[in-house]
Amino acid sequence: MGVQRTHLRLAVTALLVAILVLLVGCGTVDDPQNTFAPEGDVARKQRDLLLVWVLGPAAVILVLVFGVLGYSLIRFRRKSDNELPKQVHGNNRLEIAWTIAPAILLLIIAVPTIDAVIDLGRGPATDALHVRVTGRQWQWEFEYLDPEYEAAEANLECVAPQLRAPEDGAGQPLCVVGELHIPVDREVGIELESIDVIHSFWVPKLAGKLDNIPGTTNRMFFNATKIGSYSGQCAEFCGLGHADMKMIIVAESEEDFQEWVTDQLEGGGAARSRTGEPDLVSRGE
Amino acid sequence: MVEAMRKLRADAESYQGWWSWLTTVDHKRIGVMYGVTAFSFFLLGGVEALLIRLQLSTSNGQVLDPDAYNRLFTMHGTTMIFLVVMPLSAAFFNLLIPLLIGARDVAFPRLNAFSFWVFLAGGLFMNASFFTGGIFQGKLGAPDAGWFGYAPLSLVSTGQGIDFWAFGLLILGIASMAAGFNFIVTIFNMRAPGMTLLRMPVFVWMTLVTSFLIIFAMPIITVALFELLFDRLYGANFFNMAAGGKPLLWQHMFWLFGHPEVYILILPAMGIVSEVLPTFSRKPLFGYQFVIFSGLAIAFMSWGVWAHHMYTTGLGTIANSAFAVSTMLIAVPTGIKIFSWIATLWGGSINLKTPLYFSVGFISMFVIGGLTGVMHTVVPSDYQQQDTYFVVAHFHQVLFGGAMFGLFAGIYYWFPKFTGRLLHEGWGKLHFWLMFIGFNLTFQPMMILGLLGMPRRIYSYGSGTGWDFLNMLATAGAFLIGLSILVFMINVVVSLRRKERAGADPWDGRTLEWSLPSPVPPYNFAEIPTVRARDDFWHQKYAEDEEGRPVPIVAGGAYQAEEEEGEEEAETGHGIHMPSPSFWPLIAAIGLPIMAAGFIYQESANLLPMIAIGAVITIVGIYGWALEPASE
Amino acid sequence: MSHAPAALETTATGIDNRKLLMWLFLASETLLFGSLIAAYLLYRGQSVVGPYPEELFDIPFTSVSAFVLLMSSVTMVLALAAIQRGDQRGLRIWLFTTALLGMLFISGQAFEFTEFNREGLSLSSNLFGTTFFVLTGFHGAHVTVGVLVLLSLLVMALRGRLTRSQSMNVELVGLYWHFVDVVWIAIFTLVYLIQP
Repeated sequence: MGVQRTHLRLAVTALLVAILVLLVGCGTVDDPQNTFAPEGDVARKQRDLLLVWVLGPAAVILVLVFGVLGYSLIRFRRKSDNELPKQVHGNNRLEIAWTIAPAILLLIIAVPTIDAVIDLGRGPATDALHVRVTGRQWQWEFEYLDPEYEAAEANLECVAPQLRAPEDGAGQPLCVVGELHIPVDREVGIELESIDVIHSFWVPKLAGKLDNIPGTTNRMFFNATKIGSYSGQCAEFCGLGHADMKMIIVAESEEDFQEWVTDQLEGGGAARSRTGEPDLVSRGE
Repeated sequence: MVEAMRKLRADAESYQGWWSWLTTVDHKRIGVMYGVTAFSFFLLGGVEALLIRLQLSTSNGQVLDPDAYNRLFTMHGTTMIFLVVMPLSAAFFNLLIPLLIGARDVAFPRLNAFSFWVFLAGGLFMNASFFTGGIFQGKLGAPDAGWFGYAPLSLVSTGQGIDFWAFGLLILGIASMAAGFNFIVTIFNMRAPGMTLLRMPVFVWMTLVTSFLIIFAMPIITVALFELLFDRLYGANFFNMAAGGKPLLWQHMFWLFGHPEVYILILPAMGIVSEVLPTFSRKPLFGYQFVIFSGLAIAFMSWGVWAHHMYTTGLGTIANSAFAVSTMLIAVPTGIKIFSWIATLWGGSINLKTPLYFSVGFISMFVIGGLTGVMHTVVPSDYQQQDTYFVVAHFHQVLFGGAMFGLFAGIYYWFPKFTGRLLHEGWGKLHFWLMFIGFNLTFQPMMILGLLGMPRRIYSYGSGTGWDFLNMLATAGAFLIGLSILVFMINVVVSLRRKERAGADPWDGRTLEWSLPSPVPPYNFAEIPTVRARDDFWHQKYAEDEEGRPVPIVAGGAYQAEEEEGEEEAETGHGIHMPSPSFWPLIAAIGLPIMAAGFIYQESANLLPMIAIGAVITIVGIYGWALEPASE
Repeated sequence: MSHAPAALETTATGIDNRKLLMWLFLASETLLFGSLIAAYLLYRGQSVVGPYPEELFDIPFTSVSAFVLLMSSVTMVLALAAIQRGDQRGLRIWLFTTALLGMLFISGQAFEFTEFNREGLSLSSNLFGTTFFVLTGFHGAHVTVGVLVLLSLLVMALRGRLTRSQSMNVELVGLYWHFVDVVWIAIFTLVYLIQP
C-alpha cells in the first residue's frame, strides 16, 4: 500500500508541475508567434479574456477536483479484503448543487465572451487602412484597396487581381506577396478571400485567425501597437505547401510606411517581397 | 466435398477450427474479433503517429516529405477514430451487453456478424489506399486531405486516396449503423425479467445512447460523403464554387455528424468507468439517475454545438455567440458525471488495482480535456487556438486520455471474464504508469506549443520558432506511449499462459456477468435470471443492515458458491437452443469493397463488371441470409 | 425468413424485434433524406446557368406518378390485410399490384430523367441538376429496392411459403414502403410544388 501511495503522490506532483510549466511557459517565453505576448489590441483582448475569465477559474477547478480525487484515493484505499463501506446511493442536493453551480459559472463566462464577439464583429475604424488578403496555394497576396494606393502597373506575382475582371481605365490596387506593411497604431481592415482551397489568415501576435474561403469574403480588423515584424502563417490545412505558407507583417511608423508605399508604386512590379513564393512546390511534387 | 462441408459445419456448431470463427454468430466471439481487429489497427495508427512525431521532433525534420506527412496524419486520425475507438467500443458492446441485461445473445446475431465483417472490409479497404500511389516507387497512396476532408481541398486532391477514404467511411458507416440498430433493439427487447430501464447498468445506458447517436449521425456523413464522391467521380457541383456551390456546406454536414461522433467515442468509455468505479470502491455509483440523465443530456445537446468547430469560418456574431453558449452548457452534464464518479470513490473501500488506475487516469485526463474544451468555447480566444496544437492536445486529452484510458480500464476489468485469467497486476501497473507519463509528456507540451502559435498539420517548422524543445518532449512521450503498449501486449501473452484461474468473480463484481463462470459459456445464462434490483449480483451476495452497511449473505464463501453454481450451469447448458452459425453475413460484406473499388476505377479501367460482381455477391449474401432457416 | 421458437418469445417491450429494427431504420433514413432535401433547398435558385426547374418541371405528369405511388401504399395495406386474414389470393394480387405501381413510378422517373437530360440537365450541368438528380435518384433507388423485396415476397407467396404466421414480413415491407411514399410527398411538395 505504501508503494501505491507514493505512486499517487508522484502522479499528482507530475501533473501540478505540468500545469505550472504550462502557465509559466505561456507567460514569459517570447517567441515569434506567441499568442500570450500580443502586440496588437485584438490579440491582447483575446489573451486577456482567456487569462482572466477562463484560465483562472479553470485552474481553481482543476486543483480542487484533483485534490479531492487524490485525497479520496489515499484516504479511502482498501485496508483489508473484507472491508465493506456504507452504501451511499447519492445525494440529490449535492447533485443539484454541482449542476447549478457550473451552469452559473459558465453563464457568467458567457457574458464577456459574447461582449468580445460583438466587439470583434464590428467594422474597422473610419481611418483604417483597407487591405484585401487573398490566399492561394501557397502564398499570401495583399492588395491595398484605398484609392491612394493605386499602382500604374500590375504586380505579376499577384494572381488574384489578374483573375478579377479588369475595369476599363481603372488602375490596379498596389499588390504585394508574402509581406504586408502597415502603419503602427492604425487599424487595418482586412477582407479575406481565396482563389482555390480554404486558407486561414493568422498573425498570432496581432490577432486570432479567420478563414479565407473561396466564394466568400470574410472581414476582420487588427492593429499593431508596436513597431516591428510579426510572423504569421496559414492556419487551415491547404495541401502540400501548407507549412510553408507564411507571411510577415511589418508595422512601421507612418513616415516609413509612406516611403515604402512610394517605393512600391514607383518600382511598379515584383521581386521586392522578402518572403516571396515558397519553393516547396518543387519539393512536394 | 460434401464430407468437408459437413465437417466445417460440425466444427462451427461445436466452436472449433477457423471456420467456426468465420461463421460465428456468438456475440462474445464477435466481440473478441472486434477487439483484436481494432487493436491491430491501433498498432497501425500508432506507428503512423510515431512517424509523425519523428518528423516533428526537431525543426526542419527530414524524416517525411510533405506528401507522405499529409497522408499519414490523415490516416492516423481516420484510423484512430473509425478503426480503433469506435470498434473497440463495439467490442465491449458485443462482449457485454447481453451479459449485462441477462440475455443469451443480441437481438440479431447474424446482423451482428455482418457488422463485424463489414467493419473489417471497410478497414482493410481504407488502408488498401496506401498502395494506390505507387508504393513500390516510393510514393505513398492514401488520402491526403485530413480526416475531416474539407472541400474543396478534398476535391482537388489527385489520385484515388480520397475516393478510398470516402468509400471506406461509407462501408464503415454501414457497419456502425447495423450495430447501432442491433444494440438498441437488444437493449430494449432482450432484457431479462425484472431488468427495468432504471435497473440497467450505466454501461448499458451509455451503449443505448451511443447507438442512437450513431444511427442519427451516420446518415448525415453518408450524404456528405456521397456528395463528395458525386463531385469527384461524376462532376457534380455540390462543392464547386464556379457553379455556385458552397464549400462550407461540407463543414456544416461534417460537424453536424462530427460532434455527436465525439460523444459516440467518449460515452462508451464513460460507461465502462461507471462500472469499474463502483466495483473497485465497493459502493454503488453515486447519483445513478443523474449520471444517466447527464448522458442523455450530452447526447441531446451534442446536436446543437457543431459550429464550435467553425468559429473562424466567419459565421457571424449571432451564430458564434449562440454556439458559444450551447457549447458551454454541454460542460454541465459532463461535470455532473465527473463529480458523481469522484463521489463514488469517496467513502468507498478502494481496491487499487489496474482497472481502477486506468479509470482514475481517465477521470483526471478527462477533466483537463473538459476544461480546455471550455477554453475553446470562449470564441475570441478560440480564434487564437483554433487549428493549433492546443486543439490537438485538447482532443487527445479527451479521446486518448479519456476514451483510450477508459477502454483500457475495461480491458483489464473484463479480461478475466472472457479468458478465465486475470491480467498480471505488475505488468498492468507498469503499463499504466508508462502510458500515463508518456501521455502527459506528449500532450501537455502540445498545449503550450499551441499557445506559442504552432499550427496543426504542418509537416515542418523553422528553427527560429522556439518550438524545438517542446516538440522533442512530445516525441519522447509518444515513444513512451509506444513502449507502454508493448508492455500491454507482453502482459496479455504472459497472462494467457498463467496457470492460475481467475474464477467467476475476481473483483467482487456487482453486475450479472460476474454471476457466470469465466470464460462465459456460449449460451451465457443456463437459466435466464430474474432481476430484483440494480446491481443485482451484488445484492445476491450482500444484504444491508440498518445503517446501510453490506452484510455478506454467504459468510466468506460467496464466490465459491457462485463458482459451483457456474459449473452446474455448464452441465445443464446442452439443451439450450442457440442460433446456428452462418457464413452469409460474411459473403454479404465481401461484396461491398469490391463494388466500391469498381466505382473508383471504372473510368480508368472500365471496371463496370466489378461493380456488378460486388453487387451480385452482396445480394446473394443477403438473400441467402434471409432465406436460410436460422433462429433469429 | 422463418422463425425459430426463440423469436416468438415475448420481448421486454412487447414490440417485435424486427418491427423495432424497422422503425429505427426508418428514423435513421429520415436523417438521410433530411440531409439530401436540405442540400436541395440550400442550393435552390443558386444555379448560375440553366436549365432551371421552372423550364423543366411538368407538374401534371409528376402529379400522376405521385398519385401512382400513393395508390401503391393503399394496395400495400390491402396486401397486409389479406395475409392477416389468411387470404392467399388477395395477398398475391395486392403484392403484385403494389410492385407494379412501384415499377410504374420508377418508369415515370426514368422517363422524366431522360426528358430533363435531353433538355440539357445533367448531374454536372448546374446546382439544380446536381441536387435534383441526387435527391430524386436516392429516392428512386429506395423505391427500386422496395420493388425487389415486394417481388421476392410475391415469389414466396406464389410458392406458398408466405403464410399467415409470417404476416410480419409483409408488415415490415409495408412500413418501408409507406415511408418511401411519405418521403416522396415531401420531395414532391418541396421540390416540385413550392417554387420560390
